[in-house]
Amino acid sequence: MTPLLKLSSIKRSFGAIHALNGVNFEINIGEIMGLVGENGAGKSTLVKIISGFDDGYTGSFALNGAEVRFANPSRAERSGIAIAQQELSLIPSMSVAENIFISGDSVPTIATRRALALKAAPFLEEVGLDNVDALMAVNRLSVGEQQLVEVARLLAQEPQILILDEPTAALGESDSIRILGMVKRLAKRGKSIIYVSHRMDEIFQICDRITVLRDGESQAPQPASKLNVASLVELMLGRELVNMFPAHGDVTRDKPLLAVRDLWPDGTLEPFNFAVYPGEILGLAGQLGSGSGDALAVIGGAKSCRGGEISYEGDVFLPASPTEAIARGIAYCSDDRKVDGLFLGRPILENMTSPALKSFSRYGILEHQKEREQAFANGKKFTVDVSRMDAEAGVLSGGNQQKVALGKWLAINPKVLLVNEPTRGVDVGARAEIYQKLRDLANEGTAVIFASTDIQEVAGLADRVVSFYRGMQVGEIAQEQITAASILQQITHPFDDVPQMAEMAK
Amino acid sequence: MSAPITQPTPNWLERMVRDYSAFVVALVAAFMVIFFIGMATAPNFLTLFNLKTIIRDAALVGIMAIGLTFVTLSGNFFLLSLKETAALSIVAFATSMSAGYGFEISFLFTMVIALISGMSQGVLIGLGGNPIVVTLGAAGLLFGLGSYWSDNLVISFRRPHGAEWLGTGSFLGLPNITVAFILIAIAAEMTLRYTTFGRQVYLIGANRAAGKATGHENFGMAIKTCAIASVCAAFVAIAFSAQVSSAHVNYFSSEFGSSGDMTIMVIATVMVGGNSIMGGYGSTLRSSFGAVFISTVDNMMVLHGFNSGPRVLAVGLMIVFSIMVFALVRRGSRSQE
Repeated sequence: MTPLLKLSSIKRSFGAIHALNGVNFEINIGEIMGLVGENGAGKSTLVKIISGFDDGYTGSFALNGAEVRFANPSRAERSGIAIAQQELSLIPSMSVAENIFISGDSVPTIATRRALALKAAPFLEEVGLDNVDALMAVNRLSVGEQQLVEVARLLAQEPQILILDEPTAALGESDSIRILGMVKRLAKRGKSIIYVSHRMDEIFQICDRITVLRDGESQAPQPASKLNVASLVELMLGRELVNMFPAHGDVTRDKPLLAVRDLWPDGTLEPFNFAVYPGEILGLAGQLGSGSGDALAVIGGAKSCRGGEISYEGDVFLPASPTEAIARGIAYCSDDRKVDGLFLGRPILENMTSPALKSFSRYGILEHQKEREQAFANGKKFTVDVSRMDAEAGVLSGGNQQKVALGKWLAINPKVLLVNEPTRGVDVGARAEIYQKLRDLANEGTAVIFASTDIQEVAGLADRVVSFYRGMQVGEIAQEQITAASILQQITHPFDDVPQMAEMAK
Repeated sequence: MSAPITQPTPNWLERMVRDYSAFVVALVAAFMVIFFIGMATAPNFLTLFNLKTIIRDAALVGIMAIGLTFVTLSGNFFLLSLKETAALSIVAFATSMSAGYGFEISFLFTMVIALISGMSQGVLIGLGGNPIVVTLGAAGLLFGLGSYWSDNLVISFRRPHGAEWLGTGSFLGLPNITVAFILIAIAAEMTLRYTTFGRQVYLIGANRAAGKATGHENFGMAIKTCAIASVCAAFVAIAFSAQVSSAHVNYFSSEFGSSGDMTIMVIATVMVGGNSIMGGYGSTLRSSFGAVFISTVDNMMVLHGFNSGPRVLAVGLMIVFSIMVFALVRRGSRSQE
């Protein structure tokens, strides 16, 4: 049987960089093909080629056995290939139905809002949004629902092949489950799906076969049933990853370094109380919208709150701005590095030293040599590629950008490091490096608090877990009791004892 | 671990091929050819006197453009009130001079007024006001104040008035206003490169949210940069007044540059210099060269006998051209990922 889509010996280079160096890829009708690899392995480039965003490649590209070449994305769409990208392309103020028929051949020239809503209904049903009012503005939906609307928009163009590029990267557990359920349903109806993700558990849950990319080369696709997490990671890295998470350190919990009392961030339901000890990594577990990230933002001075106080180093205060928090040695790294974590258009060097300009200057004059030395030292500690120190931060891959966004805080020698989603959109290898570095910092006496929606991450990294559920602080788990199951139960169904996750997945 | 990509640093030719499309390269090449033919065929173009004239003509617009560059680089767009700041300043200076307070007092008096006006605009912008709206409003107010104060009349003061050195004096054969332009250009560039303030200008301009998160607030930055731009505008007003020994609120609406409007000329200069309109990328040196470049083209056209219509068109084309080229360059340098 000829595969529906077959790419062979695809090569693509940007100047001296060979992004793809002989990649083979195929997918059959009704198949879910996982596409995995580290950041920079070439996943994005391959996806761009398949979806027509990039036609500067060499090699063979066959659809239904016929050789094709797409000069632009709309040609690919006409041939039945649609892509849902990481950044949503919905227009927030327009209604669900209007967004679904925003482009493509199926757009009616004249239609009332009601007619459009009727026309949209079957596609919404297909993605499991049949309970959503198609006349509602998109920005009133949750991020997960918006992601589903995006897929419905693609389905309206009747694609045969659907590419999903990290559809769950920004989603919490329950929204992710909806997406996965939808993907399975679509495959049953004969659609072929290319599923790009960093989340191992999802890959194994839904994919039929998995294609691994490493350093611009592809490995032969393998049935998911023949792989496990360890063997897949080994394929991705080309080596065995012995320990994803570093060993826990010794924490003496006699005097907290920082404690929050009745801290009530805007938009949450109840005030929070928790403390962190020197040398401890405290994990705040919770799904999207649980309030765990908000608590961090308030401590870092990046968000306002209704009340409460932070006691820290014998002082009681509430920072009004990040500047105040920084002055006290509290560093806050948000969950979206592109928004406020990095100066993408400026050199990596300037990014690395941005929070601590005063320590490299005398009478307002920058001491460039001293700055450079400090930036290189901190860059090496966070395994940032220092040979590219003078390149713009924007040219780095996601994992390296995250290392810069985090590593820049070393410049202020933080006593407390607050990290919201330490590894969002970061590949397995860079992840392990970031975890190791956070542990090193803790071992040097820094108190680290991180918030994460990734249960594996919380279970593996945290010395102690405080859990959140819909704007409430619901529990605390000591180191010995931390398991993925115990966290999952607290952040999804804290108020009853019967876990219902298995049921939801159906 | 993600594979570090080691690659040799590309030389300028490779960078050009990578960053620029063939269309842009052809456009630049065509422009340069016209430019050099124009220079070679213009009568008396390459005389020392003419070169001095070019820089002298560039000086007043150039100084204001350097001031405005700080605002633009810091991500606060443009001040649309530069012309009116200069108008109020020139009225203040001439009024004070004609009342016999002398150059020093009049200079300080004018600067204080410009500083207050610049800082108030900065406060509003720093608090989140849209720079275009705030400075458009300020423009109306400042111009109104200047008109009211001067009764819309020409204010003149008699020579000798102690300000001739700035208006018409010279140093080693260079007009003092040219010397001032060069000194200000050097000082501004040094400030951007070697001070923490300069670094903050770039960081806040590149990403205001990340600036806030790393302890660099736009509030202070907006006040400082608006103050710098206003002070530069006031300095130009004083120098011009010292030259003609008089003042009128309309001087900067009609007497300047080929397009006749000082604000537009200054913004054009910043853009022709190739500074990013969104901030975070560029330099005051670029603006200085932009001023000299516009002045060179203008001068060349005068020598070829063009009248003002085609010269205004040329400035317009230069703006469009530079926006196209620099917008494309920036996209090129980002597309590597």
